[in-house]
Amino acid sequence: MADEPSWFERWVDELLNNDRFQRLAAKILVPYWAWRTAVKPQPGGPHFSMQPGDNVMRMMNLVMPLKDKSPVGRAKAALAIAQNKDEIYAGLDNVGTVHFARFVIVADNICMFSVYDGDFTNYIRDFIATIGSVFDAVVGLVEGGDAVIPSERNIEAFIDWVHAHDLYQVPDLATDLLRDQEAVNGAQPCTAGNDLRLLPRALILQLHVNSNVSLGSGYRAYPGYSVAQVRQQLGIGW
Amino acid sequence: MSAVFNAADLQGNIVRGYRKPRARYLILEVTNREWARRWLTDITSGRDNGLPQITSEAPWGDTKPDSCFNIGLTYQGLRALGAPAASLATFPTEFIEGMNARAVKLGDTGASAAELWPFPFNHPQRVHLIATIYADAPAELDRIQNLAIGDGRALTLLGTRDGAGFNGDYVHFGYLDNLTQPRFAEVHDPDRYADGQPMAPLGTVLLGYPTNFEGLLFRVPQPERLGLNGSFNAFRMLQQDVAGFEAYLDRAADDLMAHPKLDEVLPPGAEAKIGGGLSRPAALRELVAAHLCGRWRNGLPLALYPDGDQVPSDVNMTNFDYVGASRCPVGAHIRRCNPRGGQIVQRVANNSRRLIRRGLPYGPAYNPAHPDGQERGLLGNFIGANLGAQFEAMACDWLNLGLQDPRVTGSNDPLLGANDPLTSWFDLPLRSGGSIRLRGLPRFVTTRGGAYTFLPSLPAIRHLGALTD
Amino acid sequence: MSQSSEAKQLVDAVISDFPDHAAGTRPVHTIGVGVKGTFVASDVARNYCIAKHFQGEPVTATVRFSNGSGSPVQHDGWSDVRGMATRFHLGDQEATDLIAMTLGEFFSADVAAFLAFTKAAQPGPVERQSPWQKIWDMLQLKPPLPGPMPGQSNDLGAAGMLKYANRHAAAQLAVFQAGMIGAPVSYARASYHAVHSFVVIDAFGVRRHVRFSWQPVAGVRTTDPAIPPRDDYLRQELEQRLERWPARFMLMMTIGEAGDAFDDPTRPWPDKRIRVVMGTLTLQRLAPDQTADCEQLSFNPCRLTAGIEVSNDPILRARRDAYEVSRQMRGGSGCPFSGGSANGR
Repeated sequence: MADEPSWFERWVDELLNNDRFQRLAAKILVPYWAWRTAVKPQPGGPHFSMQPGDNVMRMMNLVMPLKDKSPVGRAKAALAIAQNKDEIYAGLDNVGTVHFARFVIVADNICMFSVYDGDFTNYIRDFIATIGSVFDAVVGLVEGGDAVIPSERNIEAFIDWVHAHDLYQVPDLATDLLRDQEAVNGAQPCTAGNDLRLLPRALILQLHVNSNVSLGSGYRAYPGYSVAQVRQQLGIGW
Repeated sequence: MSAVFNAADLQGNIVRGYRKPRARYLILEVTNREWARRWLTDITSGRDNGLPQITSEAPWGDTKPDSCFNIGLTYQGLRALGAPAASLATFPTEFIEGMNARAVKLGDTGASAAELWPFPFNHPQRVHLIATIYADAPAELDRIQNLAIGDGRALTLLGTRDGAGFNGDYVHFGYLDNLTQPRFAEVHDPDRYADGQPMAPLGTVLLGYPTNFEGLLFRVPQPERLGLNGSFNAFRMLQQDVAGFEAYLDRAADDLMAHPKLDEVLPPGAEAKIGGGLSRPAALRELVAAHLCGRWRNGLPLALYPDGDQVPSDVNMTNFDYVGASRCPVGAHIRRCNPRGGQIVQRVANNSRRLIRRGLPYGPAYNPAHPDGQERGLLGNFIGANLGAQFEAMACDWLNLGLQDPRVTGSNDPLLGANDPLTSWFDLPLRSGGSIRLRGLPRFVTTRGGAYTFLPSLPAIRHLGALTD
Repeated sequence: MSQSSEAKQLVDAVISDFPDHAAGTRPVHTIGVGVKGTFVASDVARNYCIAKHFQGEPVTATVRFSNGSGSPVQHDGWSDVRGMATRFHLGDQEATDLIAMTLGEFFSADVAAFLAFTKAAQPGPVERQSPWQKIWDMLQLKPPLPGPMPGQSNDLGAAGMLKYANRHAAAQLAVFQAGMIGAPVSYARASYHAVHSFVVIDAFGVRRHVRFSWQPVAGVRTTDPAIPPRDDYLRQELEQRLERWPARFMLMMTIGEAGDAFDDPTRPWPDKRIRVVMGTLTLQRLAPDQTADCEQLSFNPCRLTAGIEVSNDPILRARRDAYEVSRQMRGGSGCPFSGGSANGR
């Protein structure tokens, strides 16, 4: 009896592995557990850190839903960027802390993904000072954006708004998710009452409230350098 | 909406210093909301009602008062006074969170961690007001303190901190301080001379005025009466390990004496230009001290006088800029905190993170002949119109991390930074273009308390006094 | 005296997790294969470390790949940590070892915690979930427990390790990752991590805390868990692979910053640290004498050379004597430690 699974066991195994059953079960189970063990949304962006390696090449992942979800709306967003190429480069060169910046339209969202050095608020503030008009043009097309433009007159609110649209970075190490959840709840790191087998559920529930996330803090081929260090080493001036 | 500058509206300790040799900081908690509001009304009434009166920026004329009195409020204090939630929400995030919560951003980790701050700073929810008394004599500090607290029905005294200049403007690490402050066109300060920097716009320090950033205005906390002409202060109690600093200078000098490039650092005979004829090791100590700070101990800036501190005494100590191949190291303390017009990575931010710095040393003067373990340091106030844009921005990206110049990125300020001797470094520039890397700098300054306070205008204080539930 | 009794305690504790352990064999990583190769340092390695093998001249190396288990019964295809122990032959009888495994962190930060862990990790009876238990787990959104593999006689300590991890945050990551580690398709297609921090010293006397990892040039690949596991394939695979072409590994060295866990092997360093390519290891053939160059060879993580020192990691330091005791117990061949402060005394 020990090694030979019964028909019932085999039936259960097949059921649990069935994709449609899994999706149906999730439709019921996820909201139930989200209600039972409420998980608070995690803030976006990288954690504060004292270490130089953590403060260069940081990721910003902004996902901003467009007001106008038609091709016309997307074209407006595309033009808002294309018409401001000089402004964007002036900002990049004179703020000096951005490695890469990309604007991407995905579904009905205009997204901005960038790699930058140093403090997040300094980055946004210095950019407001240089290319505030471009920010206004783009954010004006986004849901909820009117409340925080013109950015030059609403510096603090604009920075907070960008931060609110910056995606949560799911930790590189799976168990650090538990530490993030403890931090947001103001709890001490676990000494008891944890079940490692619930880590997948913790992840599911976190992704239920933070539906768009960055997976990890990014993969770097040459971690640990600022923009100016790279430019200086390569002899192209900074 | 740019306000019109009226000096009588401001508290007097912001755009100019009083130059009093003693100060006492009263850290206060609101005992009773009604009485606290009445207290605020009474201290700005201008009448002699038994309470000290807020000193404003209005000119004194011929007689300097015996003492001056000013206040700052934390976010918790504004809450305790019953400011409406809608008004509280218009204050900046970093002020709302409080200095304790910003510890990692400011480098308050390890021995400087906020959890280790002595009472009352480790209970930030109780620190509501910080009142400052400036005087010439300790007896006057006591007198004003008693008047201010009275029977304690309005405010409870949680603690005091005393500052006292022990030798003019000298501070405990032996440097002459208070040489440079932002200058404003609207304010005539006879102590401030041409300093090689543009005049600072009033918005550098006061809310409601144009800032150094073109077209940018910081949000004025609402209602306007409350926020206009106000300012923000990062009050910090910074303990200084003077013995450790001097010991480090000894070690650095020893290492340099044995270094193959010693003659490039200090050419033979060049020690005559330092300190009025010191031995080579002693001159090296002073040379290292000057490079770590950016000024010789007597205040002479390295940018103007890189070879020695023996210059006629009536020279302007602050009229310089870091242009071209300046001999002041990029990582030196004063250059990190205020890069002036020098080349920095964040080009747009030149002159935008300036701060007004007020403060006094605390603790007894250090005597190297009789070294002691007494606590000593600096009670510092770092004042600006926006904490996030100025104090915090400078502290996290420039003071620590060194992001403004690739040659110092990854290192911390040699005097104030969160240095770990296992990994810290500082590059001593050589005239040939190379450098000698000094290592093993320990942490010389430990944070022992602090708070973000709002420095309201006099009309704002009256507004808070007139709050009703 | 107490140091060697602590070492014996450690060895016995490890052996206790494998009830069928055979005397005269290694307490863990019992089954393995020896390989010969050459290591050539990169052109920048010498800027970070004065050790001989980092100066650029090719250096011969003996490597032992192994399965983590201490049981004499071979199950290559079972989910298990793999080991890669490398001896760099520096000439004149001098050698230095680098011991690495496919798990990126350790289970405990100090000896006491490790002894508690090994006690908790003792194997229990094979658990097979009933269908009702599986349904109950699914309702709780718990992932299904893997069923026992054919021939599995105990639970390999899984239940005990899970219980321990639930009470000790420091062990959670290692237990979580070990549970999912699977089996590589080849010893040459896994990443091996030395886990502990070492201190490398350059020509100017500058000391840096670093961690080493071997990255397979052929890439990482594990077997398909849906396919029934095979018990004996890794050695043949390696032999056949090396007949066709050499297997290469890059030695990556990550430089730690103040605030990183220098002395705590349970905490990996963030990926955002500077990573230096220190050199390439090229493996050419299985060692002809598997007895001398695999079974009897005894590696030691503290067998270092001038230019490399141990950190204050208590587990790393404890391994020095523990490996010595284990070597003596099984009659492995000795290799005198090279003298000097390089060996963490």
